Amino acid sequence: MQKIINVKQLTKSYGKLLAVNNVSFSVSRGTVFGLLGANGAGKSTTIECILGTKKADSGQVSVLGMNPLTNRKMLFEKVGVQFQETNYQEQITVGELCEVTACLYRNTANPADLLTRFGIADKQKSLVKDLSGGQKQRLFIVLALIPNPEVVFLDELTTGLDAKARREVWKILSGLKEKGLTILLTSHFMDEVEALCDQICILKNGEIVFYGTVSEAVKNSPHEKFEDAYLWYTDEEGQTDENL
Amino acid sequence: MKTFNTMLKTELKLSLRGMDMFIFAICVPLVVLIILGIIYGNKPAFEGAGYTFLEQSFSALATISICAGGVMGLPLVVSEYRSRKILKRYKVTPISPALILFVQVAIYTLYALVSLVMLYLTAKLFFGYQFHGSIGTFFSGYLLVVVSMFSIGMMVGGIAPNTKMAGAIASILYFPMLIFSGATLPYEVMPTVLQKVANILPLTQGIKLLKMASLGLEINSVLLSVLVMIIIAVICIGISLKFFKWE
Repeated sequence: MQKIINVKQLTKSYGKLLAVNNVSFSVSRGTVFGLLGANGAGKSTTIECILGTKKADSGQVSVLGMNPLTNRKMLFEKVGVQFQETNYQEQITVGELCEVTACLYRNTANPADLLTRFGIADKQKSLVKDLSGGQKQRLFIVLALIPNPEVVFLDELTTGLDAKARREVWKILSGLKEKGLTILLTSHFMDEVEALCDQICILKNGEIVFYGTVSEAVKNSPHEKFEDAYLWYTDEEGQTDENL
Repeated sequence: MKTFNTMLKTELKLSLRGMDMFIFAICVPLVVLIILGIIYGNKPAFEGAGYTFLEQSFSALATISICAGGVMGLPLVVSEYRSRKILKRYKVTPISPALILFVQVAIYTLYALVSLVMLYLTAKLFFGYQFHGSIGTFFSGYLLVVVSMFSIGMMVGGIAPNTKMAGAIASILYFPMLIFSGATLPYEVMPTVLQKVANILPLTQGIKLLKMASLGLEINSVLLSVLVMIIIAVICIGISLKFFKWE
């Protein structure tokens, strides 16, 4: 199968802090890859190094066969990115943000259709900052999908969404995956990871502690539920016990 | 081009929604013009002068908008877009984040030009203003003032560590220049001591240059001003290019 994202021996440190240590993985076309780990485990740094917004100390990264640092212009015609942070102008409306985003690319999906599919078509004239947390989150996914991407990066995909909205987002993403979209996501919801991810990679202190499928993760652990297995890998359970 | 136009349209709407530039770059110069017009009317600039006081002040008023946009508007918007990670978001698109900065420069240039046209029409219609100099020289000087003022703003916005700091530096630069460079309070009515202090401000030099151009006086007397403006522009653009922080 064609590899869409290839990460080889990625290492990045901030001063003395080793944020990402010798991380390697690859993501095949049309699959969903989950990058998991506690806050500070190195997920965001890994994503930023893949996208080229941070420069890795060593290792190789390719996305769609291109180097994100040297082939930026061509690569990002086909890549959608949703960041955690609020990176939009304070007084901008939903419609304007979609229009401006669309004008950056040569080929785009129709933003109005996407807004309809994510149930926020009636918010076009609202200011982005006035949207609820869940509506904002859905808008940011819409923005990531505007370039008709071949691969999307979704950082903390459904944080702030209610149960129903999360299910709807999952359904839409599964549908896009069927059509060949490759997705790399981070999430703190293990039910979501189980429902969506074909492959996962669990990071702890910048290193890979597990890389494989969800069922393999459960099989290789002493637990039967994936969430317990995840906590076992990240040792969060042990830490909570110590606190008791 | 489609990208630039759409961004210009949206950023202009956002800027107008904020109202502050409309007030500081469009309304303030007009208000000062009207006040000076009412006070001095068609009086000559000094006894035996070939031009009126208002004609002498016109080009100074035309720089208020350049100063507001370049030294106040530009640094604030640049540091805000950095701290809100908007510049960073552009890094993961096919467009360079430099384009959004270019769009902002275009917007503040537009404010300045609109202000210039409004000032000219108001002065002409209500106060009998006449332009005495060469239009070519005036616009060359005008462009030089725009470039050097905007380069100051780009430098402040590009290297200030956060929005608060950018706001503080912008205020320290903007208000003294607005009041003491002769943009609002005419240079000619200042006491000599104050005039000497004013000469340190870069905008004072820009205004001298534009005054000569608009009154059709000998350009040689302001060669030093031209040089000062060029040096400021070169230094600030150099620092911006070298130390600009995108994140």
